[in-house]
Amino acid sequence: MTGEYRDHTHCLEMFKKLSEYIDGELDHVTCAEIEQHSENCVACFSCLETLKRTVAICKNTKDKPVPREFSQRLKEIIQNLPKTTSL
Amino acid sequence: MTKAKNLTPRKVKDNDFDLIRAINSGQVDKFHDLVKRYEQKLYNFSLRTCWDPRDAEDMVQDTFLNVFRYLKDFRYETRFKNWLYKVAASTCIKQRRKSKFAPEKELSWEEFYAGDGTGAPAQVPGWASIPLNQLLNEELSETLNQAIMSLPRKYRLVVILRDIEGFSTIETAQILDLSSANVKVRLHRARLYLRDKLKGYYEHDR
Repeated sequence: MTGEYRDHTHCLEMFKKLSEYIDGELDHVTCAEIEQHSENCVACFSCLETLKRTVAICKNTKDKPVPREFSQRLKEIIQNLPKTTSL
Repeated sequence: MTKAKNLTPRKVKDNDFDLIRAINSGQVDKFHDLVKRYEQKLYNFSLRTCWDPRDAEDMVQDTFLNVFRYLKDFRYETRFKNWLYKVAASTCIKQRRKSKFAPEKELSWEEFYAGDGTGAPAQVPGWASIPLNQLLNEELSETLNQAIMSLPRKYRLVVILRDIEGFSTIETAQILDLSSANVKVRLHRARLYLRDKLKGYYEHDR
C-alpha cells in the first residue's frame, strides 16, 4: 500500500459506497474495484477501516438491564388488561 | 397475468407464532410471556431512541399496550419481532418529543468527506486497528449512546435498527416505511457521523 495514490474521482466514488461494501450489498465487480483502490490509497483504506470499526462497535454494544421497578409496574399493567385480544 | 407467487403471502417461520396464536385464542395470561421475551430489547431500543429513561419507559409501555390492542390483526406474514419494532418506531415517532440532544436536520455526506485527502489520516488509527475486545468498555458504550442520541431522529432510528438491533436493509425499510435506497443513504450518513464522534473521542476527549 502507498500513500501516493491520489485519484480523487475514485476516492469519492468509493466513499459513497463504503457502507454498502461493508454490508455485502454490492456486486462483485464493484467490490473488486473498492478492494483494489483501498490497497493503493491509504486515506480510503483508513476511511474504510474506521467505518468498519464504527459498525463493529455498534454491533457489540451491550444492553442495559430493565429497572426492576419498571418491570414490576409493566407486569401490573399487563395483569389489568382485558381478558381477550378480540375486543 | 400476475404470477401466483405475488398473490400468496410468503411463509414465515417464527418461534413467537405459537405464543401469539395462544394469546389470540384466549390465553391472554400468556401475553406476559411475550412481554418478558422482548422487554429488555424494547427497553434498550427505547432508551437509545429517547435517551431519557422515563420517556423510554413510557415508550415501552405504550408499545406493549398497542401490541395488545392490535395483536388480533397480526397476519403471521412477517416475523413478530419486525411487527413489534414497527409498532415501537411508530410509537416513538408519534411521541414527537424534541430532545435537546437531537435537532432535526439533514446530514450530507460532503461534511464527512475529506475531499482531496487533506485531513485524511496517514495510517489507520489505533482505535480502528487494535483487537475489538480491547476497545469495548462502559465508557465507550456511553460515548456511542450519546453520539447516537445526538443524531437527528430519522438517521438515529435507521442506525439503531440496522447496526444494533440487527435488522436487514429490507426489514428496516419495512419497519420505517421507507425505500431500501433511503435506508442505505441514511445508514451511510449516520455511520459517518458516528465515526467522526468516535474519532473525536479517541483523539481529543480521552
